[in-house]
Formats: sequence, structure tokens, C-alpha cells
Amino acid sequence: MMPFTRLRALMLAPSSAIFAVLFMMPLGYFFVLSFWRVRAYRLRPDATITQYLAVFRDYSKPMVFTFILAFTIAVVTTLVAFGYSYFCRFKAGRHGTLFVFVAVLTLFGGYLAKIYMWKIILGSSGILNTALIWLGIIDKPITVFLFSPIAVLITLVHYTLPLAILPIYGALRGVEDTPLQAARDLGAHPTRVLFDIVMPQIRLGMISSFSMTFIFCAGDYVTPLLLGGPHTSMIGIFIQSQFGLRVNAPLGAAMSFSVIALCLMLIAVVGLAVIRIFRARP
Amino acid sequence: MLKRADTVVLQQLVKLEGLTKSYAKAVAVHPLDLSIQRGEFLAILGPSGCGKTTLLKMISGFVHPTGGAIWINGQDVTTVSPERRSTNMVFQGYGLFPHMSVAQNIAYGLHIRKTPRAEIEQRVREAMDLVQLGEFADRSVGQLSGGQAQRVALARALILRPEVLLLDEPLAALDLKLRKAMQEELRRIHLATGGTFVFVTHDQEEAMALATRICVMDHGRVVQDDVPEEIYAHPKSRFVSTFIGDANLMEGQRKRNIICLENELEIPHKGPDGNVVCMIRPERMEIAPLDGGKLPSGVTAQLTARLDHSVFLGSYVKYVVRLNDGRRLRIDSRDLSIRQVLTDGAQVRIGWRLEDQIVLADGS
Repeated sequence: MMPFTRLRALMLAPSSAIFAVLFMMPLGYFFVLSFWRVRAYRLRPDATITQYLAVFRDYSKPMVFTFILAFTIAVVTTLVAFGYSYFCRFKAGRHGTLFVFVAVLTLFGGYLAKIYMWKIILGSSGILNTALIWLGIIDKPITVFLFSPIAVLITLVHYTLPLAILPIYGALRGVEDTPLQAARDLGAHPTRVLFDIVMPQIRLGMISSFSMTFIFCAGDYVTPLLLGGPHTSMIGIFIQSQFGLRVNAPLGAAMSFSVIALCLMLIAVVGLAVIRIFRARP
Repeated sequence: MLKRADTVVLQQLVKLEGLTKSYAKAVAVHPLDLSIQRGEFLAILGPSGCGKTTLLKMISGFVHPTGGAIWINGQDVTTVSPERRSTNMVFQGYGLFPHMSVAQNIAYGLHIRKTPRAEIEQRVREAMDLVQLGEFADRSVGQLSGGQAQRVALARALILRPEVLLLDEPLAALDLKLRKAMQEELRRIHLATGGTFVFVTHDQEEAMALATRICVMDHGRVVQDDVPEEIYAHPKSRFVSTFIGDANLMEGQRKRNIICLENELEIPHKGPDGNVVCMIRPERMEIAPLDGGKLPSGVTAQLTARLDHSVFLGSYVKYVVRLNDGRRLRIDSRDLSIRQVLTDGAQVRIGWRLEDQIVLADGS
């Protein structure tokens, strides 16, 4: 057994090194930093929870707003991704994988390109308004699309969709056809088959899609900045400004760790709920 | 027609009328009429691609027929979806629910029907006892062996007390020993439940071992439908004769009620003139050394041949002989002593009784 464990350790080494040096160490540094202070534009080592109290006092509103918006985006994305993956697995025949590949290919479009694309589509003289005016449905451009949470929602659903499709499609690939037929044969309506046989087998895929989307959206500060307008105060924007203009890295770190902690809690709750709802019955 | 079942009152349970299925490029099942009696154990036997599974899937409701009708217990179910039919199926590959325990799998059908919990528990226990899976209730399905998974699939279908139990190649995935054991099990369960079983197989031995009646299918048609003994003894076509059991075939021509085989043997046989095939089962042929040996009396059709090789198989010897025209024939003989005086390459006399030969029209 010895050579095998050594080999395994060797294979794990590069990823462990990358994870430790580029991820755990900076994270550790910022965790320590979140208990420090800033005096006269200088970092002062300390062991205070002042920063966390400030987060709670001054930033609960954007925090709650961020979580509601990110949760909504994650739910919408996961459901749309499920629909698309379901189509690819069960209705697209031999071309299922091709459809998934096409979806993933859209990732090449790039993040900023997508943001500007939606700006062009949703703007007051954008494609959507021009089309609606041309069709005679409206006579003045509608301005609610752009610079609103809706614009952020549309853009982020669009961007995260391919990432959310992959885990769900992967899980659906593992679902065999015969048990689904067997369930129908035993008296289950197709909807019932979906909830009793398909969902319990892919719940982990659903949870990972939801988590990935949710974490991405909760931490995003580019889309809300460029498309969100004045009323989309997402926490990412505030965090970014603490590290930038406001020169208050400890507060920024405390805000980041608050977001991480809340994200983990929310994902745990959603995950447990999904696992419980789609458990094997009876 | 049903020799074994003539003591019970026959009652038609399933009736197929002109049932047909065609796909864009090919016809899977040609218009077909079939009736299945209550309590029957019917085998649908045929080579792969003969349409037997399509037929079974039409009965279960998973394949929509292109034409014709399916009646079950006096009701036209042609357009009824699978979940609302009184049939249940044991799928090829079993199709167990991987995220459920053995007991949950078996209980699923009753759970769907909102059966009271106490009744579910009792019936699950009964079903598990029936298939002898008593102590496996809480096992996960992934931990089961092939034979055990097969039993779970059976119990899961039987617990709903279906009018017809359909089995799609039920034993194909099992090894030989387990297959024999499961054949015994299926027979016992059929007797114990008194149900109507229809199973699809490509294995003629399995069909013979289990079925009270066999439907032989080929190229989307039923080519013979009878009790196993009749199909074996009186195959109606060349295909059936070679597909079910081993057969020695000899081609010839019939003229004025005399068949002239290609090896110049002449046999009287009534029938229209034309090309024919003579079929004799290996165990119906006799063999003896050419010099000094004598075939039993009554063996009137005789030929000389050369022994190619012989194989000792315990209770009988398999001789393979070659005729003058090069054709190979197989003879199964229980007379083990002949083998001791015959060496490979020896000249032998072979023959059969005229009543043991089946004459088939050529091209059938």
C-alpha cells in the first residue's frame, strides 16, 4: 500500500500547494486583518471586533438587499439551468451534449462584453425600447430596465447560466432511463416520476449549481456598478471601495468575512432543505 | 391447443387485434393477433430484432402501436398510458430506484396508490417472503447481487397484483447457475400467485423450461404459437426447427410423393411436388459401425457417412458425421458403447425412422 499512498500524496501536492499559497494564506491574512484598525491611514494590529460591529451597524441594509437579490438570481438561474439540462438529457436525443457544449461556449463571450451587451439591449435608446416603440406597444422609452436590480438580475442570470447547467446536466447524465420507466409502470404520473425519482438523484447537482451562482452573485461588484443604478446597493461595491478609495482594509475584510459566513449559512439551509424535500419516500 | 391447461376453464385475459408497429424505415411488428389466457405463462421467443420487445412494450403501454388494438380484461387499453394499465413489468436491467432501499423500492407502487401504511408494510413483507428476500429490507439497492436485484424487481412488480406480469429478458443478465435457480423461482412464483406471466426471451431453453406456451417470432411476425412440446416435435418452418433445439437438415425434391434427397436417398412422402427440407432431431438419429454394426429395426432411412468426431457428454455421446456430399450431421446417442469401437474417420451407417422426420417446404 505504501507506494500508492505516496503516489496519491504526490498527485495531490500541486493542487494543495496552489490552494494553500494562493488561497488559504491570503484568506488567513485578511481574516487576521479584519480584527485590526486603521489610524491615520495606517494599519494598526489589534484584536477588536469594532469592524464587525460597524458592518452590522452601517451595512445591514445593503447586506440584506444583496442576499435577497443574489438568492433570487440563484433560484432563477438554477431553475432555468434545470430546464435546459432536462431538455438536453431527455428530449434532445443524441444531441444533448452538443446543446450543453453550445451553452458553455457562450462563456467565451466574456463577462464585461455581456454587461455592455445588456446595456445596449436595455438602454433607453436600446434594442428593446426601439423594438417596443416600433411595434407601437409603448410610445416613450421605458427606463426601468436599465440601472435597476432587474438589469442586474437579467445580466447575472445570463452570465452564470452555463456554469449552473454543468453540474445539473452532469447529475442528470447519471440518471438512468429504466428506473423512470419502471416508476411509470408502477403507476406514477410523469410529474410524480420527476419529483420521486429524478430530483432525489440530482439534488446535489442542484445544490452545487445554486451555491456557485449564489456565491458569485453575492460577491459581484462589477455588474451592479455598471448596470444597477443608484438603487442597487450591493455589498460588493462597498467592499471594493473599502479597499480602494476609503483605504479601510480591516473594515473591507470584516465585510468580506461577514458575507462569507452568511453565504455559508444560507447555502447550508438551502442545501438541507433541498436534501430533505427530495429525499426517498416513503 | 393448450394441452396442460385443459383442466381449468380458459378465460381470455389479453387480446391483441391486428397490432402493428412501424417506424420510419422498418416495420417492427407486422399486424398480429394474439390472445393470452388467464394463468398462462407465455414466452415470446425470437432472435434479437424480431420485434418481441416492441410487442411487450406495446402491451405495457411504453410503445404506441401504429395500428390495431390491445384489450386487457375486456377493456380497450390501446391509448391508455402505462401508469394506468393493470400490467406490471420486470425490466431488462431491472430499473431499480438507486436512491431507495429494497423495501422502499418494493413499496413504491403501493405508496403511489396511497395505500395505508400498515397495509403497505404487510404486503411488502409478503412480497419479500415470496421472492425470499426477507432479511434484505433495509439494504441499499447498490449492495445487491444480480440475482437479488432480480428478485427485488419481481417483488416490486408483483406487489401490485397485476393482471399481467410482463418480463423483458428477465434472466439474461445472470450467470448460468443463477439463471437455472431463477427459472425454478419463477416457476414456483407463477404457481404460488396463479398470475398471468408473459416473458420475452431469445433463449429457447429458457422458454422451454418456463413457458406453458411459446410464441416464436421472426422478422416482426409470429411464426408459430403452440405448447413447447408441439413446437419442438412439429416445427412449422426451417427457422423454427433450427431456432428451437438442434436440427439436422437435408434438402431434397418431392416428385410424385417421393422425396429424393440430395444424397440420393429416396423416401416416400405425400405432398405437392417441389423443393423440401427434411428435419431430424439429433436424438432421433441412430448410428452404427459400417462393418459389423446394425441399426435398430424400423430405421428405414439409412445412409453411409464418415465419423468426423465424437464428444462424450456424460449421459450421451455427441457424434458429428460427414455425408458424402460434405454435409455435417449431429447425432446424439445414449449408446455409449459404440464410441469405443469407432475412431474418428471411421465409416459409419446412420439412419432414422420415417415417423421421426419432419418435412418442411423449402424456403419456409
